[in-house]
Amino acid sequence: MKRRTIILLLLFIALTGEAQEREHFSLFTDRDLYISGETLLLKVFVPADELSGIVNIDLINTKGEIITGISKKIIDHQADGFIDLPDSLSSGCYLISASTAISTTLTVKELYICNRFTTLPESNMAIRPIVNNPVIEQPATPLQIDGLEKAYKTRGKVNFSLHLPPEFISQIDNNLFVSVAEIAPEYSPKTFFKNAKQKTNLSIEKDGVVLEGYVNDIKTGMPFKNGIVYLSIPDTCPRFKYYITGNDGHFKFQLDNYFGKIPVVIQGFDPEEKHLLKIVLNHRDSLISSVPEAFEQWTIPAELRKTTADNIEAANFRKIFNRQELTVDTPPIKKPDDYPFYGLPTEVVDPQQFIELPNFTEISRELLPGIKFRTYNRQSLLQVFSPVKHNYLNDKPLVLIDGIPIRDLDIIKDLGTKEIDRIEICRDERYYGYLKFPGVVALNTTKPDNTRLVESEDLVKINLDVIQPDVTLNIPLEQRLNELDLRKILLWKPSLKPEQTIQLDLESSDIIGSFKLVVHGKNKDGSVFYKEQIFEVN
Amino acid sequence: MINRILFIIPFFVLLAATSLFAQEESPIDMNAETVKGKAFVTYPSYSGEPFLNLKFQLGEIEFLDGTKASNLGLRYSSYRDELIYFNEYLSDQIVIDKISLKGFSFNELNGEKRIFRRQNYDGFINGERYFEVLSDGPISLLAYRKVDLETCDPSFSELGLAYKQSYSYYMFAPGKGYSLLKINRNSLLSKFDRPNQRLVKKTLRRNRVMITDEASFVLAWNVIKENGIAINF
Repeated sequence: MKRRTIILLLLFIALTGEAQEREHFSLFTDRDLYISGETLLLKVFVPADELSGIVNIDLINTKGEIITGISKKIIDHQADGFIDLPDSLSSGCYLISASTAISTTLTVKELYICNRFTTLPESNMAIRPIVNNPVIEQPATPLQIDGLEKAYKTRGKVNFSLHLPPEFISQIDNNLFVSVAEIAPEYSPKTFFKNAKQKTNLSIEKDGVVLEGYVNDIKTGMPFKNGIVYLSIPDTCPRFKYYITGNDGHFKFQLDNYFGKIPVVIQGFDPEEKHLLKIVLNHRDSLISSVPEAFEQWTIPAELRKTTADNIEAANFRKIFNRQELTVDTPPIKKPDDYPFYGLPTEVVDPQQFIELPNFTEISRELLPGIKFRTYNRQSLLQVFSPVKHNYLNDKPLVLIDGIPIRDLDIIKDLGTKEIDRIEICRDERYYGYLKFPGVVALNTTKPDNTRLVESEDLVKINLDVIQPDVTLNIPLEQRLNELDLRKILLWKPSLKPEQTIQLDLESSDIIGSFKLVVHGKNKDGSVFYKEQIFEVN
Repeated sequence: MINRILFIIPFFVLLAATSLFAQEESPIDMNAETVKGKAFVTYPSYSGEPFLNLKFQLGEIEFLDGTKASNLGLRYSSYRDELIYFNEYLSDQIVIDKISLKGFSFNELNGEKRIFRRQNYDGFINGERYFEVLSDGPISLLAYRKVDLETCDPSFSELGLAYKQSYSYYMFAPGKGYSLLKINRNSLLSKFDRPNQRLVKKTLRRNRVMITDEASFVLAWNVIKENGIAINF
């Protein structure tokens, strides 16, 4: 019996051991101490066997709530981006985590953020997470830093070079990450691993963010089968996706190659119009909620108090003089040869070229032959005449307002010629995948701002953060003597190609303090290495 | 024996659990159907055949962005130069928007794969057309499978109208455009310089290719292509 138990235990360890050996994310930030309103720069090394193409980086408070977050496309097992720290953050310890939608392990880094208006707490006490699984990095001994002195003057030229032996270069997986930024020696936070809750529905994000959720029957609260969910993204050429739910009422949309923040409208409805539905969107919070578990008390050192006070002054100055730290690279532009999902219109009418008409009933009568819009017993009806069928199509056509499908025709009934910029009509029965539209009437208003659509249980409007575009750090080419230079990051090269000799030149700012040059890289075997050197600016 | 079985069972349970996790990590296919089109309206019934394939054949379409949708029931209308797709879910025949496609392909009943490409034709009656790719390369051999509705002898069709094949063949090279071909030996030879014409004749003779129909013409074209004889285009 004893022997059997031992063998079973060994077998279990062997099987779970494989999972433990799996590589994890490596997460680095430009600094450890921030002032609210500043920008945090970050770099992530992703395991080579990662299935997901998108990495999510979230700023979490000590309660485990996501404050803000970004999504970045993984390129060559790496990603870099930035997080704008909200001005309203209270002083205290925060965590930043890197994960994917299917991650079971999060890489979490501790940070300290000080509010620039309230400064550090007077009690001098703060809490920090208790770290059980710290990330251990190996120093890169073959990598040599030459020419970096121990001290520099403010606005001094800092020139140094990195030397990498050829055999070391051959071991490196893709690019190196190099940064020079101010440090607070009295505060040394840790990076650690944390097991996350397993998600029930696994959606791998390949080229874009996946938006998922459920549609429930409002009456019963149960998941609704065969519900249709529309996702619309208003644009000059409106984007549209749909999903027909299964037994679990679940829906998901993959938003490939969208960048920045996009307005999204999600609608769910019963095609038979018998049930009212409710849309419930999934959030990443469920993944993060278990982070962190335990904290310990920490006394803020007096030196840190002084450093923070200096940092607040510098941050305020930069805010007042509106110094832009980053330049956003233009995201790739979509091909112009695209056309609306509802097809090319058979007719286009510009109502503003005609006499002024007060509402859509009048417009349909006077300007739109073959479009019947009537209101009987407070119920609006719209029909399109089909020249192929020589009759009005029986079913309700697809009606869009600024590219967003609407089901409540009351939204358009009061629109007059002043409000409508263009009307596009498709008289054919149109198809989009499994959807059939008995004619299309698309209205483009003079003020396309989605305010006409009212949010409800079955209509959700959100500004969705999709893939963050790439950015470059602004380093002034020429310093002006009469302007203060309060840069805390002197160099930020998130993707530097490894070569035998890398020459780097920079200029120190007016900030006096300790600065650290850090070189991070990843070996092809998955291990992460670093090399660092501290210098003073005085 | 029972002890052994009891001992093996937990092993298999563990193994099944791990393989289940592995299955969950596999990518989920999220390619929703995005075929755009309009309802197909049946053609008037006359003699002849307006379609290239009599029945819907399983095929693949390629969208402009390079994404593909496969296992679709497709039928090419030679009469209207349009691609019709049978949507099983809706039980409807849909004419796929020509501007949304880069091309399509389907397999004939005999297993032969037919590839079509949407291209802009700049000749007489210009516009977007589906061309069948008979031979691909820097200079492609294309066929425009057109069927016209023509008047005919009432003894052939009671209504006096019939669908008649009017196929056209072209040599095409990007940047150079189209050059009309006829399915005969002389038309093929006319596309070569005089010194090369001899070489073509010799090559065809050596490979025992005699141009009598479309299939032999394509065979001759491929033989010439393999031998690297320069076409005067």
